[in-house]
Amino acid sequence: MRMIANYSKSGALRFTSHLDMQRLMQRALRRAGMPVAYSMGFNPHPQLSFASALALGYTSDAEWVDIKLNEHVEPETFVARMNAALPDGATILSASVAEGRSPALTALIERASYRVDMDFERPVDQQKIIKQIEDMLAGEIIVNKKTKGGWKDVDIRPQVLLMRLIGLEGQKATFEIEGVLDAYGSLQMELLLQAFTQRLGETAAWRVHRTSVHFRQLGV
Amino acid sequence: MDISALDAILKNVEKPGRYTGGEWNIIVKEKAKLNIALGFPDVYEIGMSHLGSRILYHTLNLREDIRCERAYAPWTDMEEALREAGLPLFSLETKTPLAEFDIVGFSLLYEMCYTNILSMLELAGIPLLCADRNDLHPLIFAGGPCACNSEPLAEIVDAVMIGDGEELFLDVADVCLKAREQGLNRMETLKALANVPGVYVPGFYEATYNQGSFVEVKKLEKSAPDQPVRRIVKDLDSAPYIGKPIVPNIQIVHDRVALELFRGCTRGCRFCQAGYIYRPVRERKLETLLAMAKELIASTGYDELSLFSLSSSDYSCIHELIAELLEKTKAQHISLSLPSLRIDSFLQEELERMQSVRKAGLTFAPEAGTQRLRDVINKGVTEEDLLRSVTGAFEAGWTSVKLYFMIGLPTETDEDILGIAQLCKKVSRAFYSLPKEKRGKGLRLSVSASSFVPKPFTPFQWVAQDSVQELRRKQMLLSQALKGARGVEFKYHESGLSRLEAVFSRGDRRLGAVLIEAYRRGCRFDSWSEYFKPAAWEEAFEACGLTMDEYIYRERSVDEPLPWDHIDMLVDKNYLVAERENALKEIVTPDCRLGCNGCFGEKHADDCQLF
Ligand code: SF4
Repeated sequence: MRMIANYSKSGALRFTSHLDMQRLMQRALRRAGMPVAYSMGFNPHPQLSFASALALGYTSDAEWVDIKLNEHVEPETFVARMNAALPDGATILSASVAEGRSPALTALIERASYRVDMDFERPVDQQKIIKQIEDMLAGEIIVNKKTKGGWKDVDIRPQVLLMRLIGLEGQKATFEIEGVLDAYGSLQMELLLQAFTQRLGETAAWRVHRTSVHFRQLGV
Repeated sequence: MDISALDAILKNVEKPGRYTGGEWNIIVKEKAKLNIALGFPDVYEIGMSHLGSRILYHTLNLREDIRCERAYAPWTDMEEALREAGLPLFSLETKTPLAEFDIVGFSLLYEMCYTNILSMLELAGIPLLCADRNDLHPLIFAGGPCACNSEPLAEIVDAVMIGDGEELFLDVADVCLKAREQGLNRMETLKALANVPGVYVPGFYEATYNQGSFVEVKKLEKSAPDQPVRRIVKDLDSAPYIGKPIVPNIQIVHDRVALELFRGCTRGCRFCQAGYIYRPVRERKLETLLAMAKELIASTGYDELSLFSLSSSDYSCIHELIAELLEKTKAQHISLSLPSLRIDSFLQEELERMQSVRKAGLTFAPEAGTQRLRDVINKGVTEEDLLRSVTGAFEAGWTSVKLYFMIGLPTETDEDILGIAQLCKKVSRAFYSLPKEKRGKGLRLSVSASSFVPKPFTPFQWVAQDSVQELRRKQMLLSQALKGARGVEFKYHESGLSRLEAVFSRGDRRLGAVLIEAYRRGCRFDSWSEYFKPAAWEEAFEACGLTMDEYIYRERSVDEPLPWDHIDMLVDKNYLVAERENALKEIVTPDCRLGCNGCFGEKHADDCQLF
């Protein structure tokens, strides 16, 4: 059977890379005594796949993993046992049994929503921020990006689906941002936020939290 | 400490997971009577791979009145960030500044981490020198293999723990607790500590020199022992072990369960310090090990178990152990690995079965290229042994084999160097002469040659090290001779680094000043070749009026006093002298599992219960 689980990543674990998260999840599954299925072949490996990677330092309530199990496990049992076996900073929020034939999560994932908390070095006017978002979204957002062929100027505007200011108090602003997240080219949040603060002419530090991801069909 | 300030830093450093803590099985206590920080003078990934300090962490934390936390050397980017933000070095568990602990204990795994002790102390706001610390500062301890000659650190660490730490550290803790109850000051506490067997307080002894050469160590404090003696855990089987090891959130070097079968080694390789300073062999019972393995796997979720000892295949029930472990772990997809294989006890059958689980590379350490030189170093292994073993491995499907050698061994000639190449070629031929269907695709034979470093408390503690030029010449010679050998990759090590290692391993107290000079000149992480600064080290020696050459290129006579003679490591000095003679006469000393060779002399004969 296939168990699809939604988990959160926070605290100390936000500094754990995607590859390390995969190992961490495998070990937690073992500690929880989950009957994980293994691939065939020379170096059998546990069969689990993750919907997408999360940048180092980001927190999230919308991480997804798809695990193949050899025996039936009730989703509630899965959640309880896994949460007793995961370190601080990772919590299974929900789990459900998937159709055997439904495609891999990576093939279904489409976009993600983020909440960005920004600390400006000085208070910034609300209108100025809103105007800058509008201006930025109205045209191309050219950033210098490292690609396989070296550093290149690219337009990341097509990957930005939504950006709006949802809170402002003195130097602290909160944004909602939605970006493309799929196998063909995901929004690189750091590049967008750098471009934005640069255009705004302000220096800021930020924290990014992934609030949700959207899948095609699957309906989760 | 200010967590949000820490947060801002972590975003900008490499591998921030090194500093966050929060791992599975971490032990976080609110408060305890005695607070101990274990400081590891290298990065997290290396420190967390060290079994010894992990055993101590667990053992100390078993006690309710002790809170033990960890701190690792911050990588250079983190050091800079901490300095810039004005943040002190902190523990991973509760982010407590190191200066607030009662004891800070450093593990000395290799000499080339000493500058990191200085950076950790300075970042913690603790004075570098014992003389500058007062009652408000933590007691600075050191332990681990290099504690057998801690003289270069004599002015930096307040006390040294020599030998196995499980029982020793608890005794130290008890003395510290009692000292506090009695209201003893720092000096009085150190006096009490000096009487704990295994503790060495360098400040209670004075080293004298005459015209630049070491004369002797004199005792200054009457109540301190004449000769601090190494402590051993006599009954390893009932000693505490890490039942629930911490599982790191980021990948570390030895990212697996380590099952310590036994401590000590009976082989008596004459270059090997570990072979002497961990004697005698003390084994765990088979049942104990099986129970340990079960618990370790269940509590960590690791899928790899490594049989960890100096020479694991010497374990008296190794066949039963491997068979049982394979049986028990079969269903769980757990792979077994034996990091240190002896050629002559090579377990062909077991290997074939292990291979059914996972195919890792195999490692052999013939150490020298000719039988003559192997006899000198007492590596009781023959060419036939090696060839039989590798052929067995190749037939079982292995294609990746590592061979370890040493260059610069005592009595070595070019013939011995060329012998290494010949041996490697024979191994390569053993692979390619197998019929295609009986072997794997391509051979990967990695040959590594490290430079020999003479170590204290070995029969080679008196010998001179080869010069850097000579080592380079020999490396080139070998590299040339290996040309055209199929499947061979040759790697050798930076000889400048082994030179410095040689200075410090047999160093005396004058090196403390050099260490601080080098540190001031930016030396850190010296064992990382990208950070090793040979020029800065040269300057540091010069500033102190010393040269590296006097430490390394001089053959010492056996009756010359040595800076570490006042430490009693249990093995009798006369035994080392005799072994040195045997080496020069190319006489092999048999494994003492076959019969006692009397290495402990009369004084400590009772400490070895092998016979
Ligand atoms: S005392 Fe004898 S048996 Fe014990 S380690 Fe020494 S040589 Fe071996």
